[in-house]
Amino acid sequence: MATMTNGAVRLRAVAAGLPATELVVGPDQAGARIEWRDAGHAILAQESPVEPGSVSIRTRLLIGPVHRRVADGVQVREVVVDGWRIEVEFESADRAALRDRAGRAAGRVGTSGPVEIRAELPGRIVRLLVAPGEAVVAGQQLLVIEAMKMLNELRAPRAGVVERLGVAEGDGVDLGNLLVVLR
Amino acid sequence: MGQRGSFSRVLIANRGEIAVRIIRACRELGMESVAVFSDADRDARHVRDADVAIRIGPAPAIESYLSIEAILAAAAETGAEAIHPGYGFLAERAPFAAAVEAAGMVFVGPSSAAIAAVGDKLAARRLARSVDVAVVPGTLEPVAASDPAGRKSIIDAADALGYPIMVKAAAGGGGRGMRLVARRDGLPDALAAASSEAMAAFGDGAIYLEREVRPARHIEVQLLGDAGGQVIALGERDCSIQRRHQKLIEEAPAPGLTDEQRAELHGMAIRIAVAAGLRNAATAEFLLDASGRFWFLEVNARLQVEHGVTELISGVDIVREQFWLAAGAPLSAAAVAAGARAGRPEGHAIEARISLEDPARSFLPLAGRLAPFTMAAGPGVRVDTAIAAGDRVPSDYDPLVAKLMVHAADRAAAIDRLARALEETEIGGVQTTLPFHRFVAASPAFRAADLSTDFVDDHWDGPGSWQAAAARALLGVGLAALEVEKDLPRPGPSAAADAAQDSPWLSAGRAAGVDRWPR
Repeated sequence: MATMTNGAVRLRAVAAGLPATELVVGPDQAGARIEWRDAGHAILAQESPVEPGSVSIRTRLLIGPVHRRVADGVQVREVVVDGWRIEVEFESADRAALRDRAGRAAGRVGTSGPVEIRAELPGRIVRLLVAPGEAVVAGQQLLVIEAMKMLNELRAPRAGVVERLGVAEGDGVDLGNLLVVLR
Repeated sequence: MGQRGSFSRVLIANRGEIAVRIIRACRELGMESVAVFSDADRDARHVRDADVAIRIGPAPAIESYLSIEAILAAAAETGAEAIHPGYGFLAERAPFAAAVEAAGMVFVGPSSAAIAAVGDKLAARRLARSVDVAVVPGTLEPVAASDPAGRKSIIDAADALGYPIMVKAAAGGGGRGMRLVARRDGLPDALAAASSEAMAAFGDGAIYLEREVRPARHIEVQLLGDAGGQVIALGERDCSIQRRHQKLIEEAPAPGLTDEQRAELHGMAIRIAVAAGLRNAATAEFLLDASGRFWFLEVNARLQVEHGVTELISGVDIVREQFWLAAGAPLSAAAVAAGARAGRPEGHAIEARISLEDPARSFLPLAGRLAPFTMAAGPGVRVDTAIAAGDRVPSDYDPLVAKLMVHAADRAAAIDRLARALEETEIGGVQTTLPFHRFVAASPAFRAADLSTDFVDDHWDGPGSWQAAAARALLGVGLAALEVEKDLPRPGPSAAADAAQDSPWLSAGRAAGVDRWPR
């Protein structure tokens, strides 16, 4: 089974009237590191673009508390850098990719078409509560995934008939695996 | 007259940092201070600092800080002997000064007659010319743009003066009722726009013309005058770095002036002040063109926002001086001595006006709650503010939140000090002009004293600066988030997964009331 996430974060800075800036930061972010001074204050140390290996740029960051959450699992922090107050939205890159897929799927599929329900977290299917051909109502429990020793219910996003199952009880699933197709 | 206690009780008809600054002078002089406040300022710093505070009306300035009746009633009720208007609001309204005088109180500033004389921009231009001071070429009589004959006369005058030309409100100030016209075909629209803007802002739609002096530096002279007619210049300030005619950086002395230029400038300002019968504190504003010539712009018959930089280099407490000049005392010996030294200034002071404005979006004014709010300190640093962390700045008034001033032996050291002080200054919650000030402090053009009123347009790229800072913010937050990666919210739609989002450090942070990163 895959690790929980690939350990990357996707970040976005948005300001009114300006083009948004996006960045994906992974664990192998070469040439940059963060040094904490106290709660909130950190120094971003970056390698010199001219002399690789030598840290030449040190930027003081004031990283504020999470002051709101937009959407599910997206946190927003205020960061003060060089006098700029920048709102940074961030979430795990895996989750961001999943949301992108979901967004695209939502744009493509009408409410009457089939709906592919995919794993939004990696884990193991511990219970399958529906069978192909079975009619379900919106919110009805479809299956249970165990992840990190916790049981997570997956419920039907709308009413329909189960067309196909992509998994069986006991299967391990990765993020994005097909679980159920509703028609 | 003794230097302490010119008045037993003084009402300050203002708010914010200038009210706090005047209250401090009152305290030093052993005078009781009376603060006035609107409903938006119930918990404001000036209200807490004053000996007495009295409500004067609802939040809109027109019903509170601009209400002559409300302020006079507050003064009568509290038994104030004098009223200090600060800057802005009623400071340059001659009818207010006259009403204070008529009520038997002392107006701390020039007389109502002198305010009226220089408040009429055209009368001031005529006055300057009468004492052999060059005024910016243009017209000298007000014209009603609504009147066809007036419109024709102004178009003829514009053709004679040449383009580009400025259309200005006769009653104007602060950049309102002002239009730059590049070509003749733009003139009719500019006349209508300037006139209606002036009518709305000042109740008087009359306009006049001035040739545009460009490139130019904005240089002004601090004046003090006593009842005996003695007038001194305390030195000049360079306020060239502006946007929309609002100053962003001010410094004293003006860099690069020769002794001869400085003597000529101070002399012109004193001649205008004497001719206008100015007492107390006032400022004469000039433009310095590329050829080194000064052109008179206007007189501000009041304390200026940027008076502090002159205080730092002259050693004179201008507000303290104002109080005893208002009481009829002659200029203090210290002020006279400082005036004598003003031709050969020593030391250098710079002020950054920190406002709630977005420097990436044309300095759009903002409002809101400020936290954190950490101001610089240390050698040679003065901060005038009425804000503390957690305060909410209302949108009803000026977005200025702090004046950061630095003082050092020379200009280079003052710029180094400004850069250091700006690094120490940390404000969150609402965007401020700090990125712009930091840019100026690091700018080679500013260090080279390559100053002009076009500085912002020529040098500042707000969106680019934001973009560069955003990239660093993203990288920093990304690296910080990876350090606590295990605590990031997991993908998962269920309640159980939501519960998992409450990681130990988030919960601990909330418990502590701060919800911060660990460490």
